Amino acid sequence: MAIAATLAVVAAGSAACGGGSDDAAGGNVTITFWTHTHPPMIDLNKKLIAEYESKNPNVKIEYQTIPNTEFNTKMLTSLSTGAGPDIINMDDNALRGEYLPKRLLAEIDPKAFGKSSVGEVEADYVPGTLDGAKDAEGKLFGVPSEFNGTAFAINTAHFKDAGLDPAQPPKTWQQVVDYGKKLNAAGHKQAFNFLYLHSGWYSQNFQTLANQTGGSIVSADGKTANLESEGTKEALRLWVELARTSGISDPKSSSRDATAPFQDLASGTQSMAIVYPWSMDQIKESNPDTYKNLAVVPLPQPTATSTPVNRVYGYFWAVNNASKQKAEAWKFISYLASQKERWLTDVSFVQPVKGWETSAPAKAMPFIDVIAQSYGTGKYDQVGPHWAEVQDTIRDAVDAAVFDGKPVDEALREANEAVQRSIG
Amino acid sequence: MTAPTRPDQASPPAVNPRHRPSGAGIRRRRRVHRRDLLGALLSVPALALFAVFAIYPGLRVFYLSLFDYSLTAPPEFVGLDNFRFLATDPRFRETVLNSIFYTVGTYLPALVLALLLAIVLRRMTAGLGWVRLLYFLPVATSWVAIAVVWRLVLHPDGLLNQTLGLDVTWLSSSSSARWALVIMGVWKETGFFLILFLAGLARLPAEVHEAALVDGANAWQRFWRVTFPLLKPITAICTIIAVIRGFQSFSPQVVLTDGAFGTEVVNQFVYKTAFESARMGRASAVAVLMFALLIAVTMVQLRVFRREDS
Repeated sequence: MAIAATLAVVAAGSAACGGGSDDAAGGNVTITFWTHTHPPMIDLNKKLIAEYESKNPNVKIEYQTIPNTEFNTKMLTSLSTGAGPDIINMDDNALRGEYLPKRLLAEIDPKAFGKSSVGEVEADYVPGTLDGAKDAEGKLFGVPSEFNGTAFAINTAHFKDAGLDPAQPPKTWQQVVDYGKKLNAAGHKQAFNFLYLHSGWYSQNFQTLANQTGGSIVSADGKTANLESEGTKEALRLWVELARTSGISDPKSSSRDATAPFQDLASGTQSMAIVYPWSMDQIKESNPDTYKNLAVVPLPQPTATSTPVNRVYGYFWAVNNASKQKAEAWKFISYLASQKERWLTDVSFVQPVKGWETSAPAKAMPFIDVIAQSYGTGKYDQVGPHWAEVQDTIRDAVDAAVFDGKPVDEALREANEAVQRSIG
Repeated sequence: MTAPTRPDQASPPAVNPRHRPSGAGIRRRRRVHRRDLLGALLSVPALALFAVFAIYPGLRVFYLSLFDYSLTAPPEFVGLDNFRFLATDPRFRETVLNSIFYTVGTYLPALVLALLLAIVLRRMTAGLGWVRLLYFLPVATSWVAIAVVWRLVLHPDGLLNQTLGLDVTWLSSSSSARWALVIMGVWKETGFFLILFLAGLARLPAEVHEAALVDGANAWQRFWRVTFPLLKPITAICTIIAVIRGFQSFSPQVVLTDGAFGTEVVNQFVYKTAFESARMGRASAVAVLMFALLIAVTMVQLRVFRREDS
């Protein structure tokens, strides 16, 4: 198996490029387009593809969806053998960590957006939101299909059971602990839990806390592991306090099914959780009864006087650098990006163009004020080459501290050495 | 002393007239020759496929282990750097130890259990087919399907805890996650070896047992002095297969724990290094080391069994 796993890529090494023919000036063009799986998004993509094809009879879009757990691996191996799609829809972690340093993507084509320069394209978006698709030199390689910021969900029915006022949600993590104890006393044993699904989830939760406590995983230049800094230690201490020491819930009973990440909140088992806009949409679909009782409030902060800090991330449409029909691919992306209101209405995906929150569909969205606020105070994750190894290391450190009771300093010292080996 | 004969002076080999090929013999030989040639020709496509999809990629892995190859840039020769890195890498060392723990923990009990069950079951006269089928079902089911079911069994409120009256968080603790994998592994793999041992027992000559019985040997003596030694060839095969299957383990770890809580095995490490971290050279080096390790272990096993046989 060890050899067989390695052979798969080697055997594929000579695969032909999937780019098709050169840009056809008026001729027939076939564009391949890959996304991860998210049913409402897939439905809208299919509708938009059909519309685009009917408006452009010479263009055929071949749309393929790939399960989330396989998406990064399949995309990276395909792109590396020149067999990837023309258009990819990828999260900013993968873009900045692997795709941009390896020059796998094409720079944005402003003409496809009816603009004369990249600056004009950027001017349409909320400042900073496009940073997830920029390389170290500041060049832009994609536009967002969705943009997410962290928020906090509370189950108002549970709050009422515990004699808490849902209109006064916790503003600090200490209040989460205090409220959690009251929720426990009212019979809600899972007051608050982090999500322990896979390394990526561990890493994003950890970076959310580290953003708030002034910690980081690596130094600003990405060359030195920084897990033993005081801010980073504080982030893990906070995690351990919330998950283990306070006793407001049992992390071992947390659902670990990555296909239904917010299962405990959705089923009414858990009272409070860190959420994203799309997660509320999922809960609305799967558990409408619980959804009615949920309120989305700003993410708690370390102290009441802390400047609010959140985590943001985005998925971007981008074009394969090996594509032979880049211009046509960007035109189709421009069409997808122009349907901003439908992305909001049908899928609850926010495209962070200036003034998006004042549009009619945005105003109709619940909790929009909280989400808009989180964008203004959000930070993208740190990321770098071979980041999967770093994420595994963070997972191991959190597991050791939370589940096995290893002292935070010791867990982070070991993790720091491992991260240094990965990036060194 | 006789002078050495020059080759050109050597007399032709004597031909026994009785062995001189007859016309029919020559024709038969030609038929056989043609048949062999046809057989060789027919096997060419299969051999070509094997060479292209097994031998060449296998050799390529050895070659790549000497390179730094990130999939998206041309491989860069680094000599033995990948091996040097692995020699001091705690994560690699831990995955090897995890693989050894899983292999020994799962396959030693599975082999012993399979042998005991085979000895008990071979006396069954009715329903043996059904019992064999029952034990073989987990073997025939995919690891992923089994692991998904066992996630429910191993849940804190799952069947295992409820049945045994335990309060163990099997999959979210470094002290229990590796044992959870072992328990599931024993359950799944015992049936495979049971079938092999049953086949081995069925081939044992009954007279030897009868002779031992006549000599007054008790049940343990008959097993230890007669059955077990006669089963050596099957035991050797089972042990070799067990080690290979143990080190090939991948799916149960991925589905049950994703390698967390000290359960990451070598194959998972190879997969992550190659496909998630895009370090193909390093992953190839791990594959080469594991190949060498498995060959060495298999040779030792064969030698041990041969020595015991002699």
